[in-house]
Amino acid sequence: MIDYEYLKPASLDEVFDLMKKHGSKAELVAGGTDVMVFIKQGNHSPEVLISLRGLTDLCYIQKNSAYHIGALATHRMLEQSQLVKEELTALQQGSSQVGSIQVRNMGTLGGNICNAAPSADTAAPLLVLDAVAVLQSPEGQRRVPIEEFFIGPSETVKKNDEVLVEIEIPSEMGRFKTAYCKHARRQAMTLPIIGVSVGILLEKDVIADARIALTVAAPTPIRVRQAEDFLKGKPFEEGVLKEAGEIASSPECCMPRDSLRCEGWYREEMVRILIPRVAMAAVEE
Amino acid sequence: MAEYQYIGKSIPRTHETDKVTGRAIYIDDLKLPGMLYGKILYSSYAHARIKRIDTTRAKKLPGVRAVLTGFDIPDVRVGFIKDQTVLKRDVVRQFRDEVAAVAATSPEIAREALDLIEVEYEELPGLFDPFEAMQEGAPLVHELDARGRPLRTNILPLPWKFSAGDIEEGRRQSAYTVKDRVATTWVNQCCMGTSGCVADFDANNNLILYNQTNVIFGAKQRITDYFSKIGLKGKKIRVKNVVVGGSFGTKLDTDIYEFICLQLALKTKKPVKILFTREEEFKALPPRQPAIFNIEQGCDKEGRLTFRHAEAVLDNGAYTSWGVTTPSVMMTPMSSLYRVPNVFFKAVCVYTNNIYCQAMRGYGTPQATFAVETSMDRLAEEAGFDPAEFRMINRNKAGDITPMKLKITSCGLQECIEAVKEKLQWDEKKGQQKDRGVGMASLIHVAGGARVYKSDGHGIRIKVDEDGSVDVISGGTDQGQGSFTVLAQIIAESMGFTPDDVSFTIGDTSLGLWDAGTHASRHTFVAGNACILAAEKVRRQILEMSAELMPRIIQFGLKRRSRKDKDFQTPDLDLSLLSDPENLDIKKRMVYLKSDPDNPHYQVDVTQVLRQGLHVGTGESKTVMAEVFYDPPTQMLDREFKGNYSMTYAFGTTGAEVEVDRGTGQVKILKLVAAHDVGQSINPTLIKGQIYGAAYTGVGYALTEEIKVQKGKVMNPNFRDYQILTARDRIPVEAVLVEKGDEDGPYGAKGIGEPGLVPTAPAIANAIYDAIGVRINELPITPERVLDAIKAKEGDEAC
Ligand SMILES: Cc1cc2nc3c(=O)[nH]c(=O)nc-3n(C[C@H](O)[C@H](O)[C@H](O)COP(=O)(O)OP(=O)(O)OC[C@H]3O[C@@H](n4cnc5c(N)ncnc54)[C@H](O)[C@@H]3O)c2cc1C
Repeated sequence: MIDYEYLKPASLDEVFDLMKKHGSKAELVAGGTDVMVFIKQGNHSPEVLISLRGLTDLCYIQKNSAYHIGALATHRMLEQSQLVKEELTALQQGSSQVGSIQVRNMGTLGGNICNAAPSADTAAPLLVLDAVAVLQSPEGQRRVPIEEFFIGPSETVKKNDEVLVEIEIPSEMGRFKTAYCKHARRQAMTLPIIGVSVGILLEKDVIADARIALTVAAPTPIRVRQAEDFLKGKPFEEGVLKEAGEIASSPECCMPRDSLRCEGWYREEMVRILIPRVAMAAVEE
Repeated sequence: MAEYQYIGKSIPRTHETDKVTGRAIYIDDLKLPGMLYGKILYSSYAHARIKRIDTTRAKKLPGVRAVLTGFDIPDVRVGFIKDQTVLKRDVVRQFRDEVAAVAATSPEIAREALDLIEVEYEELPGLFDPFEAMQEGAPLVHELDARGRPLRTNILPLPWKFSAGDIEEGRRQSAYTVKDRVATTWVNQCCMGTSGCVADFDANNNLILYNQTNVIFGAKQRITDYFSKIGLKGKKIRVKNVVVGGSFGTKLDTDIYEFICLQLALKTKKPVKILFTREEEFKALPPRQPAIFNIEQGCDKEGRLTFRHAEAVLDNGAYTSWGVTTPSVMMTPMSSLYRVPNVFFKAVCVYTNNIYCQAMRGYGTPQATFAVETSMDRLAEEAGFDPAEFRMINRNKAGDITPMKLKITSCGLQECIEAVKEKLQWDEKKGQQKDRGVGMASLIHVAGGARVYKSDGHGIRIKVDEDGSVDVISGGTDQGQGSFTVLAQIIAESMGFTPDDVSFTIGDTSLGLWDAGTHASRHTFVAGNACILAAEKVRRQILEMSAELMPRIIQFGLKRRSRKDKDFQTPDLDLSLLSDPENLDIKKRMVYLKSDPDNPHYQVDVTQVLRQGLHVGTGESKTVMAEVFYDPPTQMLDREFKGNYSMTYAFGTTGAEVEVDRGTGQVKILKLVAAHDVGQSINPTLIKGQIYGAAYTGVGYALTEEIKVQKGKVMNPNFRDYQILTARDRIPVEAVLVEKGDEDGPYGAKGIGEPGLVPTAPAIANAIYDAIGVRINELPITPERVLDAIKAKEGDEAC
């Protein structure tokens, strides 16, 4: 039967104490939109739920020498932030397509990343934006580039005694034009068949720098360096973008698999088709 | 056309405030004192022999009050052809086979107890493809029939074969023919409220079953039959509806969980509730059956259809529900959608180890219409006609008698096709390709009852109290469509009262007169006619009372007024005119003189008449009431499946404009026009609600919905992976009401419950063809299938 103790500490120190006390019997919960589903399905059965919702000071979106987003910032906050919309467009597009308004009101950016679903809607945008995950433990903080953060489906480098406190994005990423496409079978309450995010830094009409990231194309969200390298220094033209799509969809770059939700060949095809479209959309925004 | 007070007016629904404020009592909300909660253990295999069931541990769990297996209850067969038992104890034939059941003090404990039941199986090979199952020598899903005789085949012994005219003659007359194979798949009805019931026996084992059926008397019959076999013959049975959160076919038959609930309640001597989770709703409720058609049609040089030949194979799953009669309803579009002189249609239902199927909105006609209407488009192209023109040439007309002997008394098909053409700007847009396209498809459906049982009747009881309140008891049910708002409008119109005066008590076998069921798009038509007849009777009684009392009431009133007001000029009235009921009528609760309707001195409020007329004195008091049973003068289908089994038929045409993304294969619906011959709309808002909802389901059927079944197992039992459309998908549906009236319908109305869904998928498929020149013959039309077809075509062209 579903039964657990629910604790809501008011500070990070208390969180660490409780984590230490309850060890592997405990699970952290932020918005609960993943955790509660797992518990109900019987996949998780923690004896103690340690809520992070008392840590109201981790609920922010700021810009100074870099962009700082608190782990508890909700998708709805990101969706409605003018700053995110204008300067970190892909992330705004990712967050605004999570579930439904109700889910976005509850679900957090930190939860989306720590849950590490291969389909997480903010993962590809964060990869494109060179985000850094700031992890804290009683021993102190460490910073992990998001590209190294995911190691498998539902698996990250975060250690059991660590809490994700912030996502940091370098300020120069604000100069990139970015976009995210969630390719899905319907417009809401759905997971992507494939997720594609592209960032382009244009100098005149030449691509000075580029980022391409995919979700559901591999066991973890991935960056497609080969395609990015190909773009650098090239003119921003349809033919060039298409070529990048070809490279990214090749077996060296991505390996989408057959699943109940979609067959691999179609995912691969969508990588090819969508990369040029998302790049165009990023620049046109 | 007559001036109506309430007919054709969008009067708000009467009971919905309770729903939106959370007061309405659904099964989920219903709690009886001492009630227990039941849960069902399903099979772990698609096909297996049960070797051992051990319930010892489950029985020991605190809070568990009963654990039942097939060994604890009479091994009685139930179902449409009695091919299953309530709890299976020897062999399981599908994943949803009910193997054990628990009643406990909470749903959580019941759930936990299920995990403690040990079942040992010996897996048997499964049959998951109906074509394999049909082959000679295929293993048998059932070895014996209901009477214990050996079976030789997996093909169900049901005679679904229709023939009219001469197909060979039709072929000879054909200048063009087309032949195709189309396939449809399992879809779930997706009711917002999940299935469930509460069984409550008294100390003498008389039953009240609170459930959600839309066929209360059918449910009662099935339970009576079951009771007679389990030693409860003669016990009283009352079936009572709670508020129902949608049925769409799921509540037509009595489901196995209901029998299980009865057994748990008998065993524990407590009320027991079973309520499905959404997962159970997907896994353990029979969906719409997949059907594969081979269809061939021909036409002559002028474009007139010469013949239609179709054969269908339906995956029945492991057992048989009422839904297995869908082929008999498929015969309606197969034989009678458009004028076609020579028709052959045959359907076989095949046992497999897949989930078994049942009724769903449209009852087989969405599948059959997908076959007919995609074939019509191909034939139009083959013969060189515009698809709309081709349909016009072959359209049904009032006065037709179809090969199935359906009598078409009213028909707005021409107007529907024309409306779709106009709203879609068909002539400009058709054939432009450029990835945008238009397509259409039509439908025929029963719309004046459907004589599937010997009685297609509906009983109405009506009484009027002295305060003018009108109470009506109907044996019908409301599964969310709002028919009792519509019926209140009809009664108010017929009585000259207001809809606010009318209250309904529904869905209770102890109170209502017999009703065949709120199905087959029949409720407004059949119950509406019963309401008119009953309202006529009480109106007549009130008018007779008025003729007696009005002269006195008016005289008294005049006298009193002149006493109070010295200047009052007593009008010159001929009060004798009022003494004949024929001279009187009622409007907005006022009895008035027909020959001088605006003269206020000839009018009396109906409550004044009722007060004085009802409670009179010793031996003289009266009541105003009527009881009417209306059974439309239709025919049962004969042995050849011919006969006029409905009083009238609905026609309609859906047009779609789509845009196809050649890169992704995604189909976007730019516009959907659903034009329906509704006879006369009683309540336009409610009719449009029916049409919008049905169209949405139709779009899901066309593009996204599919129960994924792998080796008998439902793989996507949730709304994340079973993709119904959301509000965000914003399908722009425009409903067009064609109102030409129907001579037999209540105020001219025809049924509209199911039609909106029926032609949606073929209209979309035809529009996709117009957009990109590829035909997708299989539902749902997923982006993968579209892209695949585009690539195949490009490949062909490159060669
Ligand atoms: C109906 C529905 C629709 C959904 N649709 C989408 C969708 O379209 N796209 C999408 O990407 N996701 C979707 N989700 C999943 C979910 O909403 C998101 O992943 C969300 O961002 C999770 O955030 P949360 O705060 O609710 O996480 P929680 O459920 O609270 O936590 C998720 C995991 O992260 C851990 N965690 C959370 N915060 C921290 C932290 N600060 N430090 C360390 N560990 C932490 C928890 O221990 C847990 O393991 C959907 C969920 C539902 C229920």
